[in-house]
Amino acid sequence: MFLQLIVSGISIGSIYALVALAMVIIYKTSEVPNFAQGEMAMLSTFVAFMLLASFGQPFVISFAGALVFAVVLGVFLEFVFLRRAKDPNVLSLILITLGFEMMIYGVASWKWGAEQQSFPFPVSDFDIVNLGPAVVSYLNIVTLLVTLFLMFILFLFFRYTKVGIAMKATQQNMLAARINGIRANRILSITWGMSSLIGAVAGMMLAPIATLDPNLMLDPLLKGFASAVLGGMTTLVGSALGGYILGIIETLFGGYISLQFKSIVAFLIIVLVLCFKPSGLFAKHYVRRV
Amino acid sequence: MKSAGPASVKAAMVLLFNERSAYRGEKNQDQEMDIKRDYYEDIQLLDSKVLWFWFLMLIAALITFPFVASNYYIYMANYMAINVLVTVGLNILVGYTGQISLGHAGFFAIGAFFTVLLMGKLSFPFLVALVISGILAALFGFILGLPALRLEGPYLAIATLGFGMAITQVIGRWELFGGRMGIQAPPLKLFGFYPITTDRGLYFIIVTITLLLTWAARNLMKTKIGRAFIAIRDSDIAAQTMGVNLTYYKTLAFAISAFYAGIAGGLMAFMLGFINPSSFNFILSIYFLAFVIVGGVGTIFGSIMGGMVMTWLILMLDKVQDLTYIGDILMTISERWMSVTGIHNVSSIILGLIIVLIVVFEPLGLYGFWIRTKIYWKAWPF
Amino acid sequence: MNEDLFRVENLFISFGGLRAVDNVNFTVKKETIFSIIGPNGAGKTTIFNCINGLYNPDSGRVLFKGEDITGIKPHKVAMKGIARTFQNIELFSRMTTMENLMLGRHLHMKTGILSGATFFRRKSRAALEEIKHRERVEHIIDLLDLQYARNQFVGSLPYGTQKLIELGRALALEPELLLLDEPSAGMNTEEKQDLIFWIKDIQDELGVTILLIEHDMRMVMDISDRILAINFGKPIGEGAPEEIQNNPEVLQAYLGEDELTNAAS
Repeated sequence: MFLQLIVSGISIGSIYALVALAMVIIYKTSEVPNFAQGEMAMLSTFVAFMLLASFGQPFVISFAGALVFAVVLGVFLEFVFLRRAKDPNVLSLILITLGFEMMIYGVASWKWGAEQQSFPFPVSDFDIVNLGPAVVSYLNIVTLLVTLFLMFILFLFFRYTKVGIAMKATQQNMLAARINGIRANRILSITWGMSSLIGAVAGMMLAPIATLDPNLMLDPLLKGFASAVLGGMTTLVGSALGGYILGIIETLFGGYISLQFKSIVAFLIIVLVLCFKPSGLFAKHYVRRV
Repeated sequence: MKSAGPASVKAAMVLLFNERSAYRGEKNQDQEMDIKRDYYEDIQLLDSKVLWFWFLMLIAALITFPFVASNYYIYMANYMAINVLVTVGLNILVGYTGQISLGHAGFFAIGAFFTVLLMGKLSFPFLVALVISGILAALFGFILGLPALRLEGPYLAIATLGFGMAITQVIGRWELFGGRMGIQAPPLKLFGFYPITTDRGLYFIIVTITLLLTWAARNLMKTKIGRAFIAIRDSDIAAQTMGVNLTYYKTLAFAISAFYAGIAGGLMAFMLGFINPSSFNFILSIYFLAFVIVGGVGTIFGSIMGGMVMTWLILMLDKVQDLTYIGDILMTISERWMSVTGIHNVSSIILGLIIVLIVVFEPLGLYGFWIRTKIYWKAWPF
Repeated sequence: MNEDLFRVENLFISFGGLRAVDNVNFTVKKETIFSIIGPNGAGKTTIFNCINGLYNPDSGRVLFKGEDITGIKPHKVAMKGIARTFQNIELFSRMTTMENLMLGRHLHMKTGILSGATFFRRKSRAALEEIKHRERVEHIIDLLDLQYARNQFVGSLPYGTQKLIELGRALALEPELLLLDEPSAGMNTEEKQDLIFWIKDIQDELGVTILLIEHDMRMVMDISDRILAINFGKPIGEGAPEEIQNNPEVLQAYLGEDELTNAAS
């Protein structure tokens, strides 16, 4: 049972890791936690669903279409609203993302809210491989591989591409980056696009094991935050690891202690980490100067 | 020193530090000259006869309202009053103290469920149950405030979000609270014998409590504790060095704010007659924040406006298809592209848009708009 | 007058390998003005932050009236009777001048939640207390000539006025020791003259001991009883103004000879 719980923990952890990555990308550049992250992913997943079910497109095209949609959505929100904020302090920016959250939730519920859909995915959750005493589904494996692949790509991106380095620069000192010819605004737009894309992947990996409805990402949103906080809001690798750790802890808690109160694990982790190691497990501590 | 000479400076200084001679002992001339006006006016609620007149008119209007209005409008008024109460409380935290909470639906739920439980299972009288539930919510607020001490903006938002979600999920899975199905509010008797069965009866209870607590909040913000809150918001460093105990006041702000939400929740349970955990979700917490933002952060008057206007808007949007013109257009859109059954979700979209637009274009909310209009008309037609 | 009021012993603090304060010692006698001078980034404000409890020193002690106050929380430091102003103004920008000063009275007020929330007439406890303290604050407003700014939000007031309001707020605490962090920065000559006059009066009339960080050498030499010069966190000289003016190390590190002769003349 223990091994089986670990396996399930890792597979759900992959989703959390993806959501956490998506958040951290935005948080790193603008210090704003994006509360619309989950809904953006949910809407993109619905777009994929629409392409699949209503327009009868093959899976690859639907998937790609949803990713393109996700990028456009992210860039659009940043460009049309966030950038125009009169008084861009953290509280206002958080509120703006909350506004997005509600708008997107409303749109999705308006169109698809009535019934719960099941998301057709080419890889099944029911084809399984035996791994010692535990079973792993193909879907779990694909999810894990996709997550690792994305993390690897992100790592290369931030390390070796010009845009990636510019993003890092913007995050560390926006003014200095501007002076050095980096268009900080444009960088922010790209950030939002990228983040939205990663979120969309998370949504589409989650949809086959959950039911597809507008509440799809409400819970993973919190879990994503918990993972990011656990690993450290400023480190990509750390937050992804945080996702896996959270996934494992949560399933173990559900298996051994109480399935009923499984959902408070994320909250407890957030509170404990923030109380005892506010910068997260894998990030350097940062002191505010007076 | 341009105007005052050294002599008067010395006199002022002596007065400043020598309390006995200046305030308790013999009256000296300097002191009498220094008191130029009445300081009570600074903190007084109604400082002129005109205001008193309007205040009495308002009370009279509030009393006659339920006897002339239809049931729907009484229901609306109750709903408004409850939301005003939450908004005032949340504004103490968000607007005055500068902390954020995305978990107020959690406190609201605690208030609602415990009031019902205390009355149903332990047969406490209504007001006692309500107050205890409010205090319980405050206790939770205090506990949530503890991590808040070490957290700034974004982290606090995440922690409170987690809290709100955890509370609703725990309540939803606990049989004691009726589980997923929810729980029925027991019959309401005021002072143990006076049964309240109509919205009109409830109106008097809800509006009275809201008025009293709003007045209390306004007073509190004018005195020592309110000033400490504002100081923390504007500069926590300076506040500390002037002797404000950050731990105490931050947790206190959470507790007070949660108390208001708890009381409002308790009232809500009786207004709806039936509560189930899924209605106290994250979206509700955002609604509450939206009330504060729309009304204007850091103003009690703004909270009153925000709570009322937004409640009205929400109730309107609930029946969006019945609106003239707009309803028809939306119906057509729904039929062609969206879904007819989901049309009430338009309210989510509009509220979200309002939050975004207010933050982007009018950070002071309705209150800012009100102030500007007042200034404009004072100067009109110039 | 010759009693020791305040003392810093072997104070050390470093940030990530940088020694911001490196073995600083000094003693401030009661009712005197003690100045700390040094180039930008020498660690002067850091010393203040250690005294205030905003930073926790790596080692060393801060003694106030013989009591060890090292590492206690900022609000407790304030309760001991130590107030301060800030180099970069830290006012409550969305409060009026009056309210800012009233916050200075925080420790002297007793209004609680219930009495604060429920006052309804002039004779209510909270109202009485509020009135009493507003009267006292009015004296500070008179003293510092701030009447015109009384009911204005401080965020929109001129820089010099804001500096004065900070001073007033610190005075409202009725401190025994007042830490002034570059009080004259951004003031014109006339305002500086007034400020010197007020600081002297605060010392003489109110018996407040003053610890001052200041860049204006004319002012420092004019009002200080003793001066400590530091550079790169290390003390490089301490003494009466004349001694500091003639201390070769201080001259080299900080003043530059021309400036010194200007200041002294």
